[in-house]
Amino acid sequence: MAQQGDETRRNGLAIALLLPIVLVNVGVFLYPVLNLLSTSFKEALPGGGIGTEFTWANWSTLVQDRFYMEALLRSVLMSLLITFLTLLCSYPIALYLHRSSGQWRTFLLVLVVSPLLTSAVVRTYGWVAVLADTGLIKNGLEQIGITLPFRLVYNMTGVVIGLTEILMPYMILALLAGFGRLDPRCEEAALTLGARPIQAFWRVVLPLTAPGIALGCLLCFVLAVSSFITPRILGGGRVFLLATEIYDQAIVTLNWPAAGTLSILVLVVFGLSLILYTRALRAFD
Amino acid sequence: MAPTRHPAKPLNMTLAEADMRHGTGQEEPAAGGFLSLQGLGKRYQGFTAVHHLYLDVPRGELVALLGPSGCGKTTTLRMIAGLTPVSGGRVLVGGRDMTSEPPYRRDMGLVFQSYALFPHMTVERNVAFGLEMRRIGRAEVAERVKEAVAMVRLQGLEKRRPRELSGGQQQRVALARALVIQPSILLFDEPLSNLDAKLRDEMRTEIRDIQQRLGITAVFVTHDQAEALAMCDKVAVMNAGRLEQLGTPTELYERPANPFVASFVGRINRLPAMAMGTKAKVGERELRLTQPMEGNIEVMVRPHRIQLEPAGSAATESTNRVQGEIRRTTYVGDLIQYVVHVDGLNWSVEQPTSASATLSPIGAKVDLSWRVEDTLAFKSAG
Repeated sequence: MAQQGDETRRNGLAIALLLPIVLVNVGVFLYPVLNLLSTSFKEALPGGGIGTEFTWANWSTLVQDRFYMEALLRSVLMSLLITFLTLLCSYPIALYLHRSSGQWRTFLLVLVVSPLLTSAVVRTYGWVAVLADTGLIKNGLEQIGITLPFRLVYNMTGVVIGLTEILMPYMILALLAGFGRLDPRCEEAALTLGARPIQAFWRVVLPLTAPGIALGCLLCFVLAVSSFITPRILGGGRVFLLATEIYDQAIVTLNWPAAGTLSILVLVVFGLSLILYTRALRAFD
Repeated sequence: MAPTRHPAKPLNMTLAEADMRHGTGQEEPAAGGFLSLQGLGKRYQGFTAVHHLYLDVPRGELVALLGPSGCGKTTTLRMIAGLTPVSGGRVLVGGRDMTSEPPYRRDMGLVFQSYALFPHMTVERNVAFGLEMRRIGRAEVAERVKEAVAMVRLQGLEKRRPRELSGGQQQRVALARALVIQPSILLFDEPLSNLDAKLRDEMRTEIRDIQQRLGITAVFVTHDQAEALAMCDKVAVMNAGRLEQLGTPTELYERPANPFVASFVGRINRLPAMAMGTKAKVGERELRLTQPMEGNIEVMVRPHRIQLEPAGSAATESTNRVQGEIRRTTYVGDLIQYVVHVDGLNWSVEQPTSASATLSPIGAKVDLSWRVEDTLAFKSAG
């Protein structure tokens, strides 16, 4: 009897502690998302108004208009590319960090995190200065007689370069968090068993770090798909992505139902990537 | 000359063949060991972990590197395996210089203290790993894995992951994984220190059995002197990066080369004395020494080599004798431990128990006597 009372009390406490966050999430996440969903089935009125009649119009436009489908495809493919490049650039750094120790490690960690202390807008303009036609790279290359036949900014190239750098801290931190299972002794064991370093990497290090890779990739993919400041600035208005289009529809065109429809589409993409992630995690185990 | 991968033996040899090959040991040159460390040293910034270490391990022998933590024994093992680069000296295996070979070309099996099993692979895959790295055919891998798994008695657990096994079972997988590649040398880095006492004893015997059956040359790092004495053909006692003494367990125990070895291997009582030839003065009393010495010395006696006798018993030619007072007695079943106050020092004395034995009372004056041969004497430091 007393035990049961204890349990009831403990459950009551758990509910009491969880209640605030549940309420906050219902209020600032669930309600707006449901609102978006219902907005996507409403007619857009001139001047930013939202109709009251139910309509499939937004969704049928979305499916029929090649522009949107291309933006979706471009968003997903570009984000996958950025995620892959971020992984490629971050993995060696994370591995090195994982193996270093003491003050050196602390110092390196601070270096990794420090970009997050400046706003993405500032860093993006920094990339404009570096990548522009009169910027550091093109200018520098011209000094030594190399003229790049293509632009590095105000196109897809600029967006990919900028976002890759901007997302690297997140990737490195996620990788580090996932490297818990990586015991340096395992690698040494592989070496003593006759594995060359590259074999030890493929057969032991990589599989053991797979959970971290999956986590980092999920995080970076989601951040890449949803980012719009960097694509807007570095894309120069020529790179049409889902996120930038949502921004345009909501803020510029004031077509809230269209923006809502696109937002729900992005949410579906996120949902699918989350499913893929959990599948991958289960496969590693 | 380009180094070939595994020149010492054909790859398709079964464990039984390896057995025979190791057993003969006739292809070895008479001088030096199969594994020979020549002036091996490791310096870190402002700190020398291992000083010019010379050590020969004959083919088929199990040699322990014994010492307190931080004495350089694990560093030495890692240098043998090629996991830690050497600062000086050479590592020879069968006369071949391995010093600059990477670990994957050394053909040595290493059993780690933490086992270092691959957590994402089953027992079977773990054991097969070394064979797959050697590009051995699928059928032969399967056969040799089966053989190795049987040798460490893990049949039926082949499909388990390491985390689904107990500590002792994980240790066996680690052993099988190292054995299956038929390494030229088997290295153990404190492999038993994570096991409980009973399992440790069991694994001790098992490792020794397998090592002797296969005739594998092995180096066993441990800080546990009982383990080193019980398992190994020879024991190399290390301290502060130096080799203090290399000898058989009996040699180390009965004829330690210096006070460090005497006190690290087994327990011992110490008593300062003044030596004059084969006699040593302790206060008013005289002790006989086995060898003539001069000046300040330290006399050492093992606790269980001492007899307790009533005070005032007559000394004989073949025994040494000091007086003391019993301060504490502890009955531990198979023996009684006494703390006896001798010349301002607490000595420990161990006596076997028997049904008729009576505990000497605390405060009793007793004579401690021991045979002259059991008297160890060392020059006092400084």
